[in-house]
Parts: sequence; structure tokens; C-alpha cells
Amino acid sequence: MNWLNKKIILSFFVIISLGFLAFFVIDKAVKSRLNNLPIISNIAKFELTNFDNQKFTNDQLIGKLSLVAFIFTSCEDACPIMSDHFSVLQKRFYDSDLIQFISITVDPSVDSENVLNDYSKNYSIKDNWFFLTGDLQEIINLAEKGLFLSASLLPAGHSTRFVLVDQNGNVRRYYEGTDKTSIFEIQNDILTLLDD
Amino acid sequence: MNIRLFFRSALLSTILAYLLIFIGGLVRVSGAGMGCPNWPKCGDNWIPPTNVDLEQFNLTLAWIEFINRSFGAILGISIIVLCFLSVKYFYSDKRILSISFLSLFLVIANGVVGGALVWTNLNPFIKTFHMILALALVSSLSFLTVEAYKILSVNKFAHRPSSNINKKIIFIFAICIIIEILLGTGIRTNIEIIQIEFPLLDKSEQLDSIPFYKYFHTFMGFTLLFLSFYLYKIFSNHSLKIIKSLNIFILCMITVQILLGELLVFSELPQLARLFHTWGSSWLVGISVIYYNLVDYELA
Repeated sequence: MNWLNKKIILSFFVIISLGFLAFFVIDKAVKSRLNNLPIISNIAKFELTNFDNQKFTNDQLIGKLSLVAFIFTSCEDACPIMSDHFSVLQKRFYDSDLIQFISITVDPSVDSENVLNDYSKNYSIKDNWFFLTGDLQEIINLAEKGLFLSASLLPAGHSTRFVLVDQNGNVRRYYEGTDKTSIFEIQNDILTLLDD
Repeated sequence: MNIRLFFRSALLSTILAYLLIFIGGLVRVSGAGMGCPNWPKCGDNWIPPTNVDLEQFNLTLAWIEFINRSFGAILGISIIVLCFLSVKYFYSDKRILSISFLSLFLVIANGVVGGALVWTNLNPFIKTFHMILALALVSSLSFLTVEAYKILSVNKFAHRPSSNINKKIIFIFAICIIIEILLGTGIRTNIEIIQIEFPLLDKSEQLDSIPFYKYFHTFMGFTLLFLSFYLYKIFSNHSLKIIKSLNIFILCMITVQILLGELLVFSELPQLARLFHTWGSSWLVGISVIYYNLVDYELA
């Protein structure tokens, strides 16, 4: 009986130790998600125009999580994939008013408000997705100086990255916009920032 | 014939397999499955990078996943040793020989399925398959351990078959455990699909979205509790001490599992309870194999 008692006590000790270890690891994992979203920079001031002719400025980033991408409507390779990925995310976070999507054209001479309006109908199902156009130089400045993305040889040379901007207008993380696995990462990061 | 060495090797592999299931469960509940974004390497190297590239890596998650993979490799080596010993000492015993190599196949196959998990960005169905292969592995390793134990104790044990009905009840008990685990993994898979498609749903809404079979999981839990009481009763006077200990273990484990299951529902799926609920179910699989293979023996 003494032998059995010792074994029971030992087993109990091992299980409690594993429990503590698991608790520590889970806690570390949860904290690491937030640590992995450091404030990279604060987005610069900008003023562009939405496809409905309404002004859209950096002030409208405050209070919401924003996903930003640069596209152009006649692009046949990366842009449709990027917009599809935005579309998936828009559907999945449909019920939240704390998330918005921003697609900025890098070909404003072609992508007028009307063109963007038509383009939006192919992808967007809610008014939390803005398709912005404006002065090309301002768009280049926003990409290069505000978001540290390449914007040379436009329109084809635009960056295919998504940028996650938090409720305070801070850039928190970049993702490869054409990579489907980014959707999974973005979802997790949005949930982490919403819980924060 | 050095049977003791084979027994120790089988026992070590079994313990390592259980620890690996625990670590695998920890990877799942901590969300570290994609900690290493590729497989078999972790980034450009075999070990997680030390220079932090936040876009590519969450180092904490990478190390959790890396420890899981490393432990899998250690288990693989342990089973290779087991196979070597089985060839050396059990060349004529085709059953032990084949189950040893089956274990090796299972551990390698499960490693590759782990890779497929990463390639498919943690497909919930492949996750479930990964778990089922792990359960098959602990079953085969538990079988080898108990067979070696029986050969070691050949002078102490005598083969006295239990009644057919009792044997059948143990068999039904084991089948019920497998069904129960499949139901549980079904619920988990369903929740994960719901979490991907509807990330904003809270935990209780996720549970509400699961079809009626979730109630069958609870019903089966209580059926198992009843069966374990019955086994406890019919084998309470068994001459083997290990059978009596297993009786108590099974009864306690099923009670704990029911409590953990309720905790999962009513405390909004706490990760620690989820981990032990999964791990406990794997214990019941291995213990059923040992129980079934020992119950026909008595003290000589």
C-alpha cells in the first residue's frame, strides 16, 4: 500500500507540474501575440477621396482597426487576389464596426471615383471598405513615407503588402497580401488587438 | 533474450508518446501550430531563428512548435531502438515484430501529417487525423509494453480466460472510448471551423452553433462512467494488483473527464482544461489496451 501511495503522490506531482508548465506556456503564448504587434510608426497625415466623393483623411483611422492596401483596377495579377482576401476578411468581420478596409489606387489618372465605385461592387458588401483616389504624389508619399512601402514604377510596381493600422493610427504589422495564409494571420492579429 | 531491456524500451517509448501528445495539445491550445511557418525546417534553419523578424516569426510560438517537433524526433529515435530490439529478441514473434514496425510507421506518418498541417495552414480535419494517428501510436506502444510485461512475468502469471461476456464488455468499453474521442474531436474540429469563418462569435455562440451530436458526447461520457463502474464491480476481486489499480484509474479518469468536459462548456473553454481533457482521453485509450490484454491473467 505504501508503494501504491508513493506512486499516486508522484503521479499527482507530475500532473500538477505539467499543469503549471502548460499554464506558463499558454500565458507566454498569449502575451507574445501582442508583443509581436509592436508600434512600428504613426501613419502620416493624408487626404484622399473615397469612391463616393467623400473626403477620407488620416483622422478617420482613429478608433478603428484599418487594413490598408495599394491596388489599381486594371491590374490583373496581384490586385484581384488582394481584393479577394480583403473581401474574405470583410465577410468574416461583418458584424464589427471597429474594423475598416482601405484600398488606395496607385493609378489615379485611370481610377476615377466612378471606376472605383464599379470596382468596389465586385468585392465589397458593406460600407466599411473605402476605395480611395487622389493626387498621385500624395499617394506615393503616403506609401513611401507614411507606410514605408515601395511605390516606384507605378502602377505595376506597387507594393502587394497589407498594412494593419491600430485604433490610434499606428502601423502594427505588414503582411504579404497575395498570400492566402496572411488571412489567418490577420484574423488572429485583429482579434488580439480587439481584445487588448 | 533480454526481455527486460525490450520492456523498458517499450515503456519509455509509451511514456514519451504520452508526453508528446501533451506537448502537441499544448501547441494546439496555445495557437502555436504555425509558430514555424514551414516544415520540416523552421524558417531557413532547423532551429528557430534568434534574430527577430516579426513579420515571419513569433519567436515564442516558434519555440513551442519547435519543442513539439524535437520531441517527435526523440520519440522516433526511441521507437527505432525498440524496433531494433524487437528484431534482435523477437524475430520469431511476428506479432511483436509487426506491431513494433507499425509503431515506427505511425510515428513517421504522424510526423509527415504534422508537416501537412503546416502546409495546409492548420486544416482542422488534418489536425484531427494527427490526433487519431497519435492515439493509434500510443495503443500500439501500450500493447508492446503489456506484452513484454506478460513475458517478463511469465512465472508469476497464469492464463485464465475471463468469461466471454466480460471480455466483450471490455471490448465495448474500448469501442465506446474511441467513439467518444471521435465525437470530441468532431466537436473541436467544428469549433475551429466556426472560429475561422466567424471569428467574432464568442465561445458560447460557437458552442451553440455545433449540431446536436454534442449532446451525444455527454451521453456517451455517462455511458462510459456506467461501464467503468461495472468493470470495477466485476473485476474488483481480480488477483492481479495492476488490474485493481487500473479499475480505480479508469473510474477516476472518466469522472475527471466528465468534470473537465463540463468545465469546458461552463467556463468558456479554458485552454488548460481543454489540454487535460484531450490528454486524459489519450490515457484512456492506452489503458484500455493494457486492461484488455491483462484481464485474462491471474496470479499463478
